[in-house]
Amino acid sequence: MHQSLASTLLPGYRRRVLGLLLLRPEEALHGREIARRTGLPPGTLTRELKRLADVGLLKREKRGNQQVYSADTSCPVFNEVAGILRKTSGLADVLAEALAPAAQQLRAAFVFGSMAQGREIGASDVDLLLIGDIGFAEAVNLLYPAQATLGREVNPKVFTAVEFSTKVAVEPFLRDVLAKPKVFLIGNEHDLAELAGHQS
Amino acid sequence: MTLQNLLGISLDAVAPERTQVARMLAAVERNLADTRLAGLSAETRFDAGYKAIMQLAMLALYANGYRTLTSRPGHHQTAIQTLTLTVALAPEQVRVLDALRNQRNKADYLGDLVPDSTVNECVASATALNAHVRAWLQSNKPELA
Repeated sequence: MHQSLASTLLPGYRRRVLGLLLLRPEEALHGREIARRTGLPPGTLTRELKRLADVGLLKREKRGNQQVYSADTSCPVFNEVAGILRKTSGLADVLAEALAPAAQQLRAAFVFGSMAQGREIGASDVDLLLIGDIGFAEAVNLLYPAQATLGREVNPKVFTAVEFSTKVAVEPFLRDVLAKPKVFLIGNEHDLAELAGHQS
Repeated sequence: MTLQNLLGISLDAVAPERTQVARMLAAVERNLADTRLAGLSAETRFDAGYKAIMQLAMLALYANGYRTLTSRPGHHQTAIQTLTLTVALAPEQVRVLDALRNQRNKADYLGDLVPDSTVNECVASATALNAHVRAWLQSNKPELA
């Protein structure tokens, strides 16, 4: 769903490198580690890293006798590019792909909390709300591979449509989630409003 | 990773005793009974289930001659994640228990709501882990069972 948008805006290698580094601005990684985590060939990756550092999206520093790369948060478009990645390949694509086998069972799925608001810190996990007919254990095991890709714990809140519509009116937790920014993986704001019981 | 090389890092060595195992199993049964009490809120049933899971994970370590160093942060995580080593629990089950731990933290400290699906999974996981640990004790540590 998000793949075409992400791949149209950013070609494959660049998207994977930026997705890794810009969404973890506190981490500085050396080339081999970046190659391992993105699955890209080291030769191509070196040219890509150099190009991104030359335009100021990445910082290049020497640590011992190794070059390490990290996001340059002072780059004038850092927030905007990180925002695009957060909503596409960096986060949403990985999670949407992990949930794909259960897509038919889900009415809505979205990221909420610090990751959706761009307030994440190094240790933040990914808060996910799923509405549909899926068990908690099934959701946890489907999402498990995404934890390694994202380098963060994924914490799913799993509601049936009935439980969600019943509790949304009375539970401050759900009202708070509804009022704050979300990154949708399945469904949209309109679907969510319908599930919450007030037609938008 | 082996249990041995966590000694001094997150684990401490103990000499397990049968009477202590019996006490811990009885505590687990009390908590499992509470998960089935009709008058309790879903969240309290979740808490009772999680407590039973934690007691079983601690018992699994104890039966192998270890306990968590409670002076170090993350001893719940250690007890759960070592279940593959202590009682040969399948990794898929450990992932679910670890996810329950995360839900419990967020419910306790941030006021997150625990959905019914998660309460039910917590009770089911606690019940299944109880059966698994008891069977493991019978076949691997009959002197403690």
